[in-house]
Amino acid sequence: MPAPLLQLDRATIRFGGLTAVNAVDLTVGDNELVGLIGPNGAGKTTVFNLMTGVYQPTDGTITFNGTPLAGLRVNEIVSLGIARTFQNIRLFGSLSVFDNVRVACNLHRGTSPVQALIRGNSFRADEAAITHRAEELLDIFNLRRFRDTPAKSLPYGEQRRLEIVRCLATKPKLLLLDEPAAGMNPTEKVELVRLIQQVQKQFNLSILLVEHSMKVVMGVCQRIAVLDYGVKIAEGNPAQIQRDPKVIEAYLGEDHQTALSHH
Amino acid sequence: MPRPHLYLLATLACAFGLSHFSDRMDPYFLDVLTGIGINVILAVSLNLVNGYTGQFSLGHAGFMSVGAYLAAAVSVFLGPRLLGESGGTTLQQGTLFLAALITGGCAAALAGLAVGVPSLRLKGDYLALVTLGFGEIIRVIFQNFEPLGGALGLNGIPAYTTIFWVLALVGLTVFVVTCLVNSTYGRGFLATHDDEIASEAVGLNTTRYKIVAFVIGAFFAGTAGGLYGHFKMTITPTGFDFTKSIEIVVMVILGGMGNTLGVILAAILLTLLPELLRPIAEYRMIIYSLMLIVLMLARPQGLFNFKFGKAKL
Amino acid sequence: MSEFLQQLLNGLSLGAIYALIALGYTMVYGVLRFINFAHSDVFMVGAFIGYYLGKLVPEGTLWGGLLVLSGAMIGCALLGIFIERVVYRPLRHGPTLNVLITAIGVSLLLEYTGQIVFGAAPRTFPQIFPTANYHVGSLTISSNQVFVIGVAILLMIALQLIVFKTKIGTAMRAVSLNPKAAQLVGVNNNVVISFTFGLGSALAAAGGILYAMNYPSIDPLMGVMPGLKAFVAAILGGIGNIPGAALGGLLLGTVETFIGGSQFSTYKDAIAFAILIVILLFKPAGLLGKFTIEKV
Repeated sequence: MPAPLLQLDRATIRFGGLTAVNAVDLTVGDNELVGLIGPNGAGKTTVFNLMTGVYQPTDGTITFNGTPLAGLRVNEIVSLGIARTFQNIRLFGSLSVFDNVRVACNLHRGTSPVQALIRGNSFRADEAAITHRAEELLDIFNLRRFRDTPAKSLPYGEQRRLEIVRCLATKPKLLLLDEPAAGMNPTEKVELVRLIQQVQKQFNLSILLVEHSMKVVMGVCQRIAVLDYGVKIAEGNPAQIQRDPKVIEAYLGEDHQTALSHH
Repeated sequence: MPRPHLYLLATLACAFGLSHFSDRMDPYFLDVLTGIGINVILAVSLNLVNGYTGQFSLGHAGFMSVGAYLAAAVSVFLGPRLLGESGGTTLQQGTLFLAALITGGCAAALAGLAVGVPSLRLKGDYLALVTLGFGEIIRVIFQNFEPLGGALGLNGIPAYTTIFWVLALVGLTVFVVTCLVNSTYGRGFLATHDDEIASEAVGLNTTRYKIVAFVIGAFFAGTAGGLYGHFKMTITPTGFDFTKSIEIVVMVILGGMGNTLGVILAAILLTLLPELLRPIAEYRMIIYSLMLIVLMLARPQGLFNFKFGKAKL
Repeated sequence: MSEFLQQLLNGLSLGAIYALIALGYTMVYGVLRFINFAHSDVFMVGAFIGYYLGKLVPEGTLWGGLLVLSGAMIGCALLGIFIERVVYRPLRHGPTLNVLITAIGVSLLLEYTGQIVFGAAPRTFPQIFPTANYHVGSLTISSNQVFVIGVAILLMIALQLIVFKTKIGTAMRAVSLNPKAAQLVGVNNNVVISFTFGLGSALAAAGGILYAMNYPSIDPLMGVMPGLKAFVAAILGGIGNIPGAALGGLLLGTVETFIGGSQFSTYKDAIAFAILIVILLFKPAGLLGKFTIEKV
């Protein structure tokens, strides 16, 4: 079996006396759509933070494409091919929609800053290519008409889309989406499911999705891992997860069976 | 030829032209113009750090003083040896001056590195105070450094600053800053200012951006210092204290942080204002401070921050 | 040895003054997360109020001195409350950078208005308390120094009592921990913040009077350096931490006095900034402070 794209091997992080993530094993393969669910406070975003270098694991290892991620800085991990969105959208509010995408193209920029001063032919060609690519991405996701709008003025749904588009500008192999359906109504969620599937196919990447909305998770993911109090309690395909008694118990406090089938 | 280069050439041509008519011009007018030019360089260079990259630095005068002293040292100590008794031809003096300015700028850039690196983790108030502290440390060091005059300052600096040099350096500073910022690379400065965490998440090395901003800002502040020293012919450590830093900061705020054209206009206005207010010179700082307060309460985005202000040069 | 003790005494005396000023910085930072740049100039105004009040009472009497001290403290408390109300409060919910810049503006305004009103030339502060010199062994202790240390200790004890034993003090601590929660339990944040400013300014005024007693030459820019150093002291002790400010002040005053007596005396002003940079690089929370992590 080929090595998985992303591999967490007993990944653990402790904050003082609190073990937020406890010996979690998780893999994501090429072109896979994996979900990560669990009650509030289970440690899902913390797992994302571990994968992206915001936190360093206290124990265990994380490997991406064969490269161990220990000690790497956030921006270095991005250059390896992992991109993420944030639970509370983090756009560059004061920059235009276009610039938000353009700045993410820096990773694959072909010229040096000095050439920005000389402005020779290769610089101008590179800038034109970046502009073209950014506009193309905006086109695909129907954001072209907002090109020059400051990002903070965008409606909420468009902001979420822009954040994903910005990620795609960094040419990732793995996309981490942190609760992309938050604040969306049922129609928007259907649209989101379609969007995620489109992104996965069109850009040939893997997606790891943290989500509370079961409709989105079950509709999109091939495989789902369940976290509770920092521990992985179950893993399987959507049907298996919905029936798993440990998962149902973890979601106790809500209308458990229905919680897993609705949302 | 790309447009910024055209502007730069035009500025250099103007500088050259003006310098030829300079002996027919009113010397007071030339002095004011020189003062304006030096302040524009200071304000535009600080704007890269404060305005675009969002690193609130209160120690810019420190970099100016490093440039002033090192440039003066080249002219005063190396000059006689290189140019001999006669003082050399105009061309030789000009070359010496260029070398002095470059030395001053590079020394200031090194100081910028020394200040920028430790300041990386700091934000807002803390960063402002650390940069202020560094500025004061630089002042105390020069005050105690006898070879460069110590507390009494350095005299006898040759008057190499002409309107040509001033305008040429103004053009160069504006050129570098605007070219850098108006590129895909340069958008990284703005992103770093807007949201550091998001910037890292799209692969930007925010640390490097902050340091680059500090170093380039310091370099041009140093050249401004070199121009200043060879204009006033004498420099003292207290002339570069944090009051001076604040004067430059006011220009950046008045112009609208991150708005080069606005900052240029503000620098011009704030250099002219003391001249116009000469009869009430003692009220100058009171007016400054009131202006700061009123600006922040009423129009924090600056006076000159209109849409066209963000000109793409 | 006696040289050492003499310097130590001088250092503690200076440090006590830094501590009083530092307490104002740290309290305001505690409730507002904001460094009041103008605080050092309230210190200066205190000294000048003392100067003018000192002309109204006979020199060298205990009751006269106490009157001057209280008058200056009350005057500056009102000034501090006024500044907060008029200039800082409207900007409280905006970007913190704007308030910082405004504070710089207020500081400059106080300094340069002072230069116009009081004149830039230094004046001699009157001897408001009875003076004497005590000799203990080979140590010379001036009554002014005794006063400085004594008054500073008394004020710091009073502050501790206020912060830990009164309702308003508890409210101050609540607001500094969590302003929203404090409001939810019925604390009037505006009143607490005004009170904090008033208290801090009163302490700064006391610092100004005590400073002027020991270094009797006062001028409108006298607050700049002591203010910056007191700010460093507050950071050294842990910004927002009241005992920390006192500790930081004493430490800084002592170190500075020893440097001033050594061969590096011309660098003594830079010492405070060097300490600031070292602290912020290696232990930004200060000696007694705690640090919070930003949640992603």
